[in-house]
Parts: sequence; C-alpha cells; structure tokens
Amino acid sequence: MNEYVLRTNHLSKRYKKQIALDNIDLTIKRGSIYGFIGQNGAGKSTLIRVVTGLAYPTSGSIELFGKGSQQEIIQARKRIGTIIEGPALYPQMTAAENLEAHRLLKGIPGKECVEKTLALVGLQGIGKKKAKNFSLGMKQRLGLGIALLGDPEFLILDEPINGLDPMGVVEIRELLKKLNQEYGITILISSHILSELHLLATHYGIIHKGELLEQLTVKELNERCQQYIHVKVDDPEKAAAIFETKLRTTQFEVMPEGTIKLFDYLDSPGSVSKTLADEGLIIEQFMPMGEDLETYFSNRIGGVQHG
Amino acid sequence: MDNLVKTELFKLRKDRSFWTLILGLLASGILYPMLIFFNDGVFGADAVSVKDLYAYTALGGNSYIVKLVPCILAGFFISSEFSLGTMKSIGASGNSRFRIYFSKLMIFSIGAVIISLTFPIVIMIVGAILSGFNDMPAMDYVVRTLGLTLLYAAAFASIMAVVSIIFTDSGKTIGFLILFFILFDSIFYALSQKFSFIEQIFNYSVFKLFLEISEFDISNGILLKLVLVPIITFVVFGLIGSLVFQKKEIK
Repeated sequence: MNEYVLRTNHLSKRYKKQIALDNIDLTIKRGSIYGFIGQNGAGKSTLIRVVTGLAYPTSGSIELFGKGSQQEIIQARKRIGTIIEGPALYPQMTAAENLEAHRLLKGIPGKECVEKTLALVGLQGIGKKKAKNFSLGMKQRLGLGIALLGDPEFLILDEPINGLDPMGVVEIRELLKKLNQEYGITILISSHILSELHLLATHYGIIHKGELLEQLTVKELNERCQQYIHVKVDDPEKAAAIFETKLRTTQFEVMPEGTIKLFDYLDSPGSVSKTLADEGLIIEQFMPMGEDLETYFSNRIGGVQHG
Repeated sequence: MDNLVKTELFKLRKDRSFWTLILGLLASGILYPMLIFFNDGVFGADAVSVKDLYAYTALGGNSYIVKLVPCILAGFFISSEFSLGTMKSIGASGNSRFRIYFSKLMIFSIGAVIISLTFPIVIMIVGAILSGFNDMPAMDYVVRTLGLTLLYAAAFASIMAVVSIIFTDSGKTIGFLILFFILFDSIFYALSQKFSFIEQIFNYSVFKLFLEISEFDISNGILLKLVLVPIITFVVFGLIGSLVFQKKEIK
C-alpha cells in the first residue's frame, strides 16, 4: 500500500499572466488530516480543483494513491469524497434524493446507505424538505454526507464547517476525527477557521500567492509556535535600535501597544535582557511566548518583519 | 457509463422544468384541438380531418416546439449543473469527461424527444376522439413523421448541449438558444442566397430538412437523407461538445 495518498510534483497553474500555483510539491500521507491554510486567492481551491480533475495543470503532475497516469488518476478519483467550494446540491430535491443521485453516480449498490448517511450527518427525519430550504449548516452536513457516500479513502473538504453553529462545528470535528481514527480515512481540509483546524489537523500546508511556503506536522508547528521572546520596556523605540545595533538582529516586531516580539536569541534570552538593562532600559515584561496557528500563519505569510 | 446514465435519468425524472414543460404541452395538445372543434369540427359546420389536423396543425406547430422548448430544458438540465456547483461533483466522480458528456447528452436528448413528441401525439389522439376517428392519417405516415421528429429533436438537442456547456448559466443559455433558433433559419437562408456553398450546407442541414418531414410523398432517396442528416448532426455535435467539455475547466 502506498504511503502517500496524494503527491504533486512541480505542479504549476497559470491563467494568462497570473500564477495560481507555482511549482507545488505537496505530499499527503495516508491516515493524516492535512490542514490546508491560505488566504483567499492563495491557490487552495485551485490546487483542490486540479487534484479532483476540474482544472488542468499548466505543468507538473499529480499522483493519487501512487497512480500517475491519466487513466489511473481518473479511476483513483472514485476513491475520493469531495466538497469543493461549498456543498453541491440539487435545490429541488430532498436530502435523501440528493444522496440518491450521488449514490447512483458512484454506483453504490443498495439504497440503505442513504438512510445510514443521513443519520451519520444528523439529517435523519427531515422528510420532504427540499435542499433549497435548508439552512447553510444543513447544506454543509448534506454536502459532507455526499462526500462520505461510498466509503472514500480520501476526503477533500474545502471549507466544510462554514455556516455551522458551534455545536455543529464540534459534531463535524468529532465525526472527522472518528472517520480518520477509526476508519483510517485521510482528510485534506481547508478552512479559514484556523483555531478549528488546530484542533483537528495532524499536518499542515501553508500556501501563499500560489506558492507552498511550508509543510509541517502538528508537532513541528507546536515547536515553532513557541518561538519568540515577549519584551516590554519603558522605551520600545530605543530597544528596537539596540536590537539592530548591539544585537545585530532585525528579527523582531514592535507591536502597536509598545511590546516587542523578538524572534532571535531564543537560545540565549539572558544576553538580550542583560544588553537592554546595560543600556539603561527598564524591563517591565520579558518572557518566551507561544503563538496560535493564526499568528503563526500570519507571520509565515509575511505579516511581521523577519529579517 | 451505466452509473452516469442512471444518475442523469434520475435527475431528469426529478427535474421540475421538464415536467412543467410536459404539462404545458399536454394542456396545449388537449385544448388546441378542442378550440378547433368548437369552431369548425363536429360541433361546427364541417367534419375535421384528423390527417390534416395532424399534418398541418400538430406537425406544423411542433416545428417551433422541437426547436424552442428544449432550449429551456437545456438551460435547467445542463447549464444549471455548473451554476449550482453540482458539475464539480460529477467532474470529480472518477468518470472521464467523454462519458460524462455523452451520458448528459443522451438523457437530455431523451427529454427533448419526449417534449417533441408530446404535442403531436396528444393532438392526434384528442382530435381522433373528438372527430370520431374521421379521416385518420395512415399508420406508416404517423410512424415516419414521429420517427423523424425523434431524430431531429435529438439532433437539435446535440446543438443545444454544446451551447449549454459553453455558457454554463441557465439564463444565458436559454436566451441565446431561443434567439439562435428563431433567427438562424432566416440568417442561414439569406446567406445561402448569396453564397452557393452555404446554400449547399443549408440544403443538407437539419434546419432545412426538418421542414420537410411532414411531406406526404417522400422518395426513398430523400427519406434516407432525412434520416442520415440528423444522425450525422447528432454525432458531429456530440463529438464537438465532448471536445469542448474535455478542455473546459469546471468552476
């Protein structure tokens, strides 16, 4: 069995002069929950569309379940469940009819899976209500149900928790965890709600302006998220000048409220505090700090001055 | 292919626009002969000939239905898949674009054929009942004209399907197709008067030949032409559509 469910090799996608994907080498290991992070227009959906066959790459290639030829990839897509840019529903059909249409599409024998899936996503007993009358949360659940039909080995979910109420978010999170842990389903999930991703993902990929900046495991992320020294002094401007002249580093950020985040000298914080004190500054706060995923992401895409 | 065809058939059965169009045509097919009979038929001075009613009223009126009414179905059955986002599920389902397109075209053509046959069949049945089966058309004439209507409906459907996947928006598709089918005959005819090669194309096009299917006396040679041209049109436009769909990025 192949270790990776998805690999892209130097994958690029251009629309005329605009680069949507730039030389992407992405790998998703079997059994992982891959959190795909990026701003609007960063290239997340484009990559998902290329992987699912809705768009074509300008150059580079993809491998799905270790299969790389055109025909093999088309066949391999039968093993994937998707929600791409929102749930795809027929508004005039009920939830059961929507599932039935997709059951037929996937060639799943027996109608019992429809009721089973409705129960799985918490939509049992909604009767004849048409999808057009569903709340956004119900549509998301149904979209997830459609993606789960046919017991896929790989779920690709683009913003699957948009519009869900807090309880719904928790339920879907638990469901995805269960699918991953008990059934071994690999999940690629993109979401703007990074705090939610942080509770779910085992791996992360950060994409910015079509470039895959970084891929890291949750362990690596947790390590990197604790990577600055929080400094509060009586004169932050002077402190900034001292960092640049005495400590010869530009890896810091002066925050609007006057505190400073120093991303350098993590191994020797004592030398920093000593230098500041020697220059006559009063140190009010000095401590190593961690970041949440949002801050890390923001820093990673260039939200802070990092030398 | 089997799964795709079953899915498309399921969706056609659930398509509200399809049933609305069928109901409208059923109502027209029932009411129209009644109006004629109240004016001229068994309730008027002269007995109505079912043969004439079928050949001139049913098939004559149906020439607009075959070209215009399925345009609405094309918008809702094909283009709306793009605007609803459901085409993304189909595109990502692990089926080749060729299969997806031909399944869609096949079932859309069946829908267009049902739409195209409803009006003449209902008019003929209602006319026959109201007239007491007076001067019925010959069975071979009915079979030939309905068979040809079926072929031309499928040929027009293949043209409509190409436009539907290009526009990917039901409103634009319906608007463009209706204008196209209303104006194209006249434009094509006008051009054919100026350029002889266009005249040749026009004479062998479904647009011209479709107008000849209700003729009572057709030689075997012309009948062969009437049968082959829509089949070739269906295949050619089916292939063009599948190539367009193959290249198309689904958004």
